[in-house]
Amino acid sequence: MGPLISSGVITQNTNFFLAFLIGIGFGFILEASGFSSSRKLVGVFYGYDTVVLKVFFTAAITGMVGLLFLSLFNWIDLDLVYINPTYLYSSIAGGIIMGAGFIIGGFCPGTGFCAASIGKIDAMFFIVGLFAGILIFAEVYPLIEGFFKAKYLGIPTLSEILGIKDGLVSLGVIVVAMIMFWIGEWAEKKFPQKEY
Amino acid sequence: MNKNLKQKTKYINPYLGGVLLGLVLIAANFISGRGLGASGAAKSAVVATVETMAPTHTENAAFYSEYNESHPNGPLKSWLVFQMLGLIVGAFLSGIIFRRLTFKVEHSPKITSKRRIILAIIGGVLFGFGSQLGRGCTSGSALSGMAVLSYGGFLSMAFIFGTAFALAYFFRKNWI
Amino acid sequence: MKALHYLAIVFLTLGFVIAAIPQNTTHPYKLNPEELLEQVNSGMQYFSPDVIADMIINEDPSFLLIDVRAQDEYEKFHLPGAVNIPLSDLLAEQWRPYLNQDIRHNIFYSNSTVKANEAWMLTVQLGYKNNYVMQGGMNYWAETIMNPEAPEMTSPDEEIAKYNFRKGAGMKLGGSVETELQQTKQTAPALPKIAPKPNKKRVQGGC
Repeated sequence: MGPLISSGVITQNTNFFLAFLIGIGFGFILEASGFSSSRKLVGVFYGYDTVVLKVFFTAAITGMVGLLFLSLFNWIDLDLVYINPTYLYSSIAGGIIMGAGFIIGGFCPGTGFCAASIGKIDAMFFIVGLFAGILIFAEVYPLIEGFFKAKYLGIPTLSEILGIKDGLVSLGVIVVAMIMFWIGEWAEKKFPQKEY
Repeated sequence: MNKNLKQKTKYINPYLGGVLLGLVLIAANFISGRGLGASGAAKSAVVATVETMAPTHTENAAFYSEYNESHPNGPLKSWLVFQMLGLIVGAFLSGIIFRRLTFKVEHSPKITSKRRIILAIIGGVLFGFGSQLGRGCTSGSALSGMAVLSYGGFLSMAFIFGTAFALAYFFRKNWI
Repeated sequence: MKALHYLAIVFLTLGFVIAAIPQNTTHPYKLNPEELLEQVNSGMQYFSPDVIADMIINEDPSFLLIDVRAQDEYEKFHLPGAVNIPLSDLLAEQWRPYLNQDIRHNIFYSNSTVKANEAWMLTVQLGYKNNYVMQGGMNYWAETIMNPEAPEMTSPDEEIAKYNFRKGAGMKLGGSVETELQQTKQTAPALPKIAPKPNKKRVQGGC
């Protein structure tokens, strides 16, 4: 049955309209959870506020378990769902650069737009930087194209890499998430809360 | 003081937020067969701007021509652009409801607004560059990727958060 | 902290459930049993040997004959222009673009109709369109096209016309044993190049 766009239930234009509605939900939840505050976001790296950890991992395990159950009941064909390709080197290098950007800038792109739309001026400058960064990448692309496309692994899932079934992987991720949440709750008690 | 803080901020419970965000993510996959994203929309905007400003340049440079090959309807008619417009509206609505609509530069009392803005720009540049190199940002690659158990998603997540943790000590004065 | 307890209980339970039950690797079937039975009963999946003979002679590009027998059987003898996709190999990824397309009619054949019908059933259940079966298989083909039985003189005109067509077609397609042997030296025709159907692919996404 799903994804609806693949089974022809909805047209491309309906898909775009629904993307807008999905975006409203996405933006609302990010803002309502406090992702529009950079000091709240980076709190996770100092232990005083672990809201990022909680929201991010709860969303990931909800999505993971939800999709596996939908697939189990044949409501969605996971073979048709987009899985981001893995280019080992550029994935790792990109992750490292983004990590540095996160701790310096205090936002990631989604939260940056979110914060800018409620009037955070620092977020607006973050977005200016974001555009500049993409533009720089586009201009130096010929120089790094080889590296960008190196070590292509296809679209493996973690379960394929580990050689165990999807359900077990997601159980593992859930257990890890719960341990991290528990550590997060402990850290929030230990480190003083900041006012922002 | 804690009570004061709660009255002032009024954020929803993070676990509830996470579950709701997860449901949105499932809806995106069920309806459109893909996850959420943010940097892709910024990329569309950049490509569209460069195309308008310097059309000959986009024809010659590999990055733009590869992008246009995968987006035959033009850079702005993409799923992520519509999703991003929704995100801005949704965040604005939440800002109205929870009374958080104010123009301000949020920063640690130990640093100036100017310093905060310079750091935000540097962070933005790094994030923009990194998200292109890593083929997706925190939401597009890490969050959406993890939901479909993508190996790349877990890698992105580990390296984004790992690096930020590793560097946190050196930038502590900007935040605490 | 209370919220975390509830969350942990719910997610660990769901996690254990999803880890314990076997993974669903089946593709959802496109037809329910009733719909399939209706298609089988209607006999719409069959192409008669006469129509196929006519198409072979006219080199009709709108169809592709697919021999679903084993490779050695195919090499011994196959219909002109037929390609070989053994039934045991039918679900291999390399054949998907040929079976799942909307450009040509694929016609399966085997010695009888059993294997061809099995191939047809599988492709129908996968939701692939434009797949058909040659009525009666190779045995019936040999009976009707290669060695047609002369009708009695009292038969109606159309019977005689059919016989004449079959005789002509049989001669053209090499009805006798000697030409059949020559057939074996023919190399298998190359598969026509076609683009895979777009909407069965993964959704394109990402940042």
